[in-house]
Amino acid sequence: MRISNIFLSRIGKWSKRYSNLPDRYIQRAMEQVYWRNPKGIQYKPNAVVQKKKFNFGVQRPWSGQFKNENGPRDVPAKVFLEPIKEWSFFRGDRVEILVGKDKGKQGFVKQIFEERNWVIVEGLNCELKQIGQSKQRQFDGVWIQEEQPLLVTNEIALVDPSDLTSTSIEWRFTEEGERVRVSTRTGRIIPMPASNDETVDYKSKAVYKEQPKDTTSDAVTEVTYEPKLCTFEMDIMDKMGIKEDRIPLKTYWY
Amino acid sequence: MSSNKILNLCKLLNNVSLRKNEPIVSCIFSRNISTTTRKFDLMEFFDDQKNWGANDVKVGRAWKKDEMRLKSNVDLHKLWYVLLKERNMLLTMEQEANEQVQLFPSPERLDKVEESMENLEAVIRERNKAYHELETGETGERPGKHVTSRLGLRYYYKMSEHVVPKHMNTKWQQKYQFYKYDRDVEAFLLKYNEKLYLTKKRKQRRDFNHVIGLLKRFPGMDMEALKQQYPDVDIEKAKHSRKCRGHFEP
Amino acid sequence: MSTRWYPIYQKGGPQLRVFLPNFWMKLIKPPHEQPPNIVQFACSMEMTKYDIKNYLEKIYNVDVVHVRTRIGLGKTKRDPGLGYVVKADDTKYAYVTLPKDQEFKFPDLFPKVSTVEEDYEKTIKQTKDGFKDYLDKNKERPGMPGWFTV
Repeated sequence: MRISNIFLSRIGKWSKRYSNLPDRYIQRAMEQVYWRNPKGIQYKPNAVVQKKKFNFGVQRPWSGQFKNENGPRDVPAKVFLEPIKEWSFFRGDRVEILVGKDKGKQGFVKQIFEERNWVIVEGLNCELKQIGQSKQRQFDGVWIQEEQPLLVTNEIALVDPSDLTSTSIEWRFTEEGERVRVSTRTGRIIPMPASNDETVDYKSKAVYKEQPKDTTSDAVTEVTYEPKLCTFEMDIMDKMGIKEDRIPLKTYWY
Repeated sequence: MSSNKILNLCKLLNNVSLRKNEPIVSCIFSRNISTTTRKFDLMEFFDDQKNWGANDVKVGRAWKKDEMRLKSNVDLHKLWYVLLKERNMLLTMEQEANEQVQLFPSPERLDKVEESMENLEAVIRERNKAYHELETGETGERPGKHVTSRLGLRYYYKMSEHVVPKHMNTKWQQKYQFYKYDRDVEAFLLKYNEKLYLTKKRKQRRDFNHVIGLLKRFPGMDMEALKQQYPDVDIEKAKHSRKCRGHFEP
Repeated sequence: MSTRWYPIYQKGGPQLRVFLPNFWMKLIKPPHEQPPNIVQFACSMEMTKYDIKNYLEKIYNVDVVHVRTRIGLGKTKRDPGLGYVVKADDTKYAYVTLPKDQEFKFPDLFPKVSTVEEDYEKTIKQTKDGFKDYLDKNKERPGMPGWFTV
């Protein structure tokens, strides 16, 4: 496995879903290369020495804050992560908090951090934090309530929509062959929240606002391909009216 | 194909909207004025003027392979140049933003364009391969084979095209020498394999110890998930390890 | 055959053609003053003068009179921690001469340059406004969590 894939495999699918960024960009924004062999004939071509161990916190891996938290050659503290078979908490799910001062309260999942088994529940499990204070500018700053992450394994539980109480869940198949989350207590299906499909760019795919440089879906789905017995190059030469009747000379492959 | 269609495809840009079968009037208008100037046009190296100094530029996603498979060779050829120009534009804007220590808005656009270009090449390669397999029974790709190097290590040797046959090409013969029996190489291989073996062992031990740590911290953990994540670790053995036991009387 | 592997050329053989060039070129602001009809580019290392001329003429429809190129040495710097030397890749620069009657001026892409003070004031104002909005929203119901209105 390439080293780049190792990074990406650490960042869960659901953690990066809302950002709507291509994996390629996430990897490029995240990587910290200490040394790269110059192009040319080398003892070890394409050797790259780069940061492999990252401290995954509440900062998104492609952000500048993440870079600040992961300075060059910082050794992150070892994190023991409880293995989970399948991720079952999605953006917009109603969950109940099982620990802390907001124990028993219900809220909605706002952010997911699969690499730490964390979620942030909107407006709950907050800590007060002072920001922006500056002696030089004689500004006391403002106090804000900052939501703290919660472990999905034992600090929150999904809420059954039929009776609005917390429940454990199970993944099962419906008659139509669709995988759904089912409350083990009542046997009711817990539907996928609509905001699971939401990204920074659109609320849902149906209401996406087309941008000037986007290709319209009509143009994309239009089929213009006709199978023909020729290579791409032959086809283009034919269409451009380039005549070529010289025969390639004998070459040897070895 | 009608010239109108070609014109439309000339205007195809790198990004694909997600909306299905809904033409958008405002969008068509803006596309018509964007890329039709065919004159002295170094300004094509720059973004639309309203995006200068913007904080972010919203765009759709990259082209997928499945979408490209619907398009004819001519369309793909045109799309390539559209993507190429878009990439040059983004590189120019990025360079200038870096020079002036300013924000380059939405840098993921570059990745989207490059992903589209990669997909396009892959689709064309697929088509050419199909043609060659039909006509010659071979893929028509650059041939290669697994060989053993002078150091006794296996690697994939990519062949290249030459004007003269192998037995006449002394330069090639000097450069590419493959494995033949050598006592020193055998000794090296013994040590090299030992190194690989030790690395593997070390990884196994690391995983084993990690599983012990997990068992100690999360005794009520989902054992199946653990087994799935660490298939090489003997979990029963880890459970009975001395390090796994807590400090309490039974 | 991969689109990136070209056959070798032998005299009398078919002309080799590139259908999908993957050269890049970026227009850069000239660090030193140039005559108005000279445009500076950074381009792929593999490009020759003829490639550059054809690229601009065929793809961008720009009239090119003359092309000069040079290879700029990549900058070296020391690693701040361990002190080894890291060198950036070399870059090829192209100086393209347009016809006498045409001129090109690099546009001002970032017209408004805000000072640090202005930036600071802006952020503070944004924060204050945001906080005020938050307070206004929760004036009627102190201590209620945000989800209550949903």
